[in-house]
Amino acid sequence: MRRPQFVRLTGILLLVIAAASCSVVQQGTEILAQTGKISESDKNSIIKTSEAIRSTFADITEEEEYYIGRSVAAMILSRYPAYNNDGLTRYINTVGNAVSYFSNRPEVYAGYHFLILDTDEVNAMAAPGGFIFISKGLLKRCKDEEMLAAVLAHEIGHVTAKHGLQSIKKSRLIDAFKILGTEAVQRYGSEQLAQLTGIFEGVLGDVVESLIERGYDRKYEYEADRQAVAITVRTGYSPAGLTDFLGTMVGDKSTASGKGWFKTHPSPEDRLERVKAEISSVKSIPLRAAVRIARFKQNVGNLK
Amino acid sequence: MGVKKIPSEVRMRKPPVSFLAVVLCLGLALVLLAETLVVKIQTTQVRKDPKFYAQVVAVLKAGETAERIGSQDGWFQVKTTKGIVGWVHSSAVETRKFNLFAMDKNLKTQASASEVALAGKGFNKQVEASYRAKHGEISFAWVDKMLEIKIPPAEVEDFLKKGKLGEFRGSK
Repeated sequence: MRRPQFVRLTGILLLVIAAASCSVVQQGTEILAQTGKISESDKNSIIKTSEAIRSTFADITEEEEYYIGRSVAAMILSRYPAYNNDGLTRYINTVGNAVSYFSNRPEVYAGYHFLILDTDEVNAMAAPGGFIFISKGLLKRCKDEEMLAAVLAHEIGHVTAKHGLQSIKKSRLIDAFKILGTEAVQRYGSEQLAQLTGIFEGVLGDVVESLIERGYDRKYEYEADRQAVAITVRTGYSPAGLTDFLGTMVGDKSTASGKGWFKTHPSPEDRLERVKAEISSVKSIPLRAAVRIARFKQNVGNLK
Repeated sequence: MGVKKIPSEVRMRKPPVSFLAVVLCLGLALVLLAETLVVKIQTTQVRKDPKFYAQVVAVLKAGETAERIGSQDGWFQVKTTKGIVGWVHSSAVETRKFNLFAMDKNLKTQASASEVALAGKGFNKQVEASYRAKHGEISFAWVDKMLEIKIPPAEVEDFLKKGKLGEFRGSK
């Protein structure tokens, strides 16, 4: 009677000690660092010894994603000029931030930011880290706030699922992670920096090619559409905004000549079918509200 | 009488043993619950309630830690190192993980994501500066302008309210 109980209790006790020691390692090093017994880098190296090394896009830190995103955004803006309209930009950012609250990843390194591109090409793009672009041509196609919210939610879906980062060639990441090494130095030496900059250029090339030239894998677009339905419904928008938007693209010969959205996205018919199926599984579908139709007209109605 | 004494002794012995087991289980549960969260974004706000537009009670920067004391719909209730209790969104933080069976330093030749984040290494400001020095044709002016566009949560709340969205949506 006593022996099995003793064994069981010992087992429980060991589990408690093991679990507790995880936080003890960390708390202990924190205390030692704070009291000056060990340096900050010592603290980090004690903590790091038990962590896994980086190998895939999922190991890219939020800060790195932000820096990749900044440069990708700059490259997009070197191809398309920004549409300079403070009022309209603020409206787009408010809709975008509102829907981002209802996404799976409302917090990104430096927040979500939205900008209109001054082109009649129908297009929308999301750089890693939450830099989202929507073309004037696409905005003109939106007839109400539900359509705009759906397009922005689709782009947020790409950021949430890190589709941009997934287009980076794995060999490039492996090279970068190798250079980074274990030494917690704050600044790189010139040789390391030159190597890393070269890899960084390659990384940007991979992401920009996916965003502007080649487009994402179809499955990523379908995933972003599913996200868009979920996000808009959670926000309280009618998911019909997405089907309405895709509907405007069906059979459109004017822009289907190979530019923007048409070049980089699967056929609108194909997406429409899937999105309709997705919506049919939504239990409670929000309806459009007159107040939203009115404020969209007020903000976007005069766009030429 | 003597026969009756034995069961009472058994009763006396048993409770402390099971009590100890319960205490240990509770201890284990508490240790597991009291997770340390690390902020992985530039800054995040600790809010009074689990909502983006709730009152801000503290601000945490990248790398700062807080103890998780509860969770609800994608939000973590936390206690900061200064003892302030509030809510942070789960997407702003990560759980600090340890593997006690991988303590051998010699096995490690590369850095993990969180130590790179801690050291501010990886693709960082310095790499961007080096890239920009090579590519003068790429302007970051609009990227920086984009980052200046900030919609305060109170404004988003007002937008949701007026648009009958989020928690302010009508039944129809």
